[in-house]
Amino acid sequence: MNASSDMSFFSLIAGASLPVQLVMLILVITSLFSWWYIFIKVATIKRAERDAEDFEDTFWSGGDLNKLYDVITANRRKPQGMASIFEAGFKEYARHKQQTRMDVSDVMEGSRRAMRAAFNREMDELDAHLPFLASVGSVSPYIGLFGTVWGIMNAFRGLSNVAQATLTQVAPGIAEALVATAIGLFAAIPAVIAYNRFASSVDRLSVRYESFMEEFTNILQRKS
Amino acid sequence: MLRQRENTDSFKAGVLSITVHVILLGALLISFNWKTTHPVSIAEVELWDSLPVANVPKQPPPMVIPKPVVKEIPKPKPKPEHVIEPKPELKLPPKSEPEIAIKQEAPKKPIKKDPPKELPKKIQQEDQLAKLQKQLMQDALEKPNKPPVDDVLKKLQQESLSDEKALGEQKSNAAKAGVVDEFKAKIQAKIRNNVNNSLCGDGNPELKFEIALLPTGELGSSPKLTKSSGNVTCDEAVERAIRASEPLPLPEDKTLFSQFRTLKLTFKPNDH
Repeated sequence: MNASSDMSFFSLIAGASLPVQLVMLILVITSLFSWWYIFIKVATIKRAERDAEDFEDTFWSGGDLNKLYDVITANRRKPQGMASIFEAGFKEYARHKQQTRMDVSDVMEGSRRAMRAAFNREMDELDAHLPFLASVGSVSPYIGLFGTVWGIMNAFRGLSNVAQATLTQVAPGIAEALVATAIGLFAAIPAVIAYNRFASSVDRLSVRYESFMEEFTNILQRKS
Repeated sequence: MLRQRENTDSFKAGVLSITVHVILLGALLISFNWKTTHPVSIAEVELWDSLPVANVPKQPPPMVIPKPVVKEIPKPKPKPEHVIEPKPELKLPPKSEPEIAIKQEAPKKPIKKDPPKELPKKIQQEDQLAKLQKQLMQDALEKPNKPPVDDVLKKLQQESLSDEKALGEQKSNAAKAGVVDEFKAKIQAKIRNNVNNSLCGDGNPELKFEIALLPTGELGSSPKLTKSSGNVTCDEAVERAIRASEPLPLPEDKTLFSQFRTLKLTFKPNDH
């Protein structure tokens, strides 16, 4: 057995047994998807933060709330983030206002509920794909380890037929098997880092939304 | 799988994710030298496999090994006489019984001067003394390093002190010396069998090792090379052989162990 020509990266993968190759394939696909979601998440969270910034600027600049509502609803795009919360709350408030017989506290309750519902929808959007990243981060090392263990098992089983065991007989098998662990780690590490980062960003955004909800409720109460 | 509002980013993200993987694969291929060749170490491992095979056919010459043993027997013989018994005894008698020593010295001179005039009592002693003198002269010849006169005088003193006892001791000494030599030969033979001659070249290198033994026959410390053969691999081969020969054969008589505490052994790996 000539060890020198065997050790190129592609021949390592090609020489691995079928379960190990399957494990590698699964891990590569997982890694591709997790990176895809990571980039999507980076873009969406960045946009949500920018939107929140812009909306807070326009909201606290002291313009008329009716005018702001008109601008938001006139937009072709469906309102997102804080704008959607504002839209839901103000719409509910305006509807209750038209029915003059209603009590102030009931009006406030209704608009608050509407805002709460919009907030939950927004949070659902923001939390999307985070569970996937968490699973990839925790599970893919195990998948890689499984492939490695399988490969090493094969390598040592081949050793049992030989009278004189040398390192050359095991080394290629182990090298092949270790590639699986390497791919698993490569998939897991970015996923874990991204998950932690995104979770903290989503937490900060939700705090921002909730405090906006409280402040907006106060403003509406004063108006009524 | 994707949210509606994420559709705009999905394509860009997909391209980026593929780019990341391509970059990493490229880095992996460039940074690692995948075509490393190191069959040299493998060859070393296989070399060791053939060693014992090469050693086995060379074992038959144990018949030859005794030769150096026979040569060496005369040498160590005087040693035990000087080393084992006499020394402790020699120190004691002059101190404890100085008078006798003096008395005994007196008769010596007349004996040498004029034996026939001596009293019949002393004739026996004289014969024995003559014998002893011959022996001691032989010893002195064999061991020219030590001042012979001193030895002879000491011997005379001791022997005349207890003639019969000394004779008995001598016999037992000789027996003990034989045992000691036998075991020294055994030790050397055992080590010889473990030496891989092929590592010592074609010449006839000679090397000397000093080894310290424990009563169990194991090495007390690592063997010390006192005289190198000039060939490092040969020296190492012999050292390995010494280590491989543990435990070394030792006589059952524990009193003889003092002879084996430190051994100076001479090896001629290519001498058959």
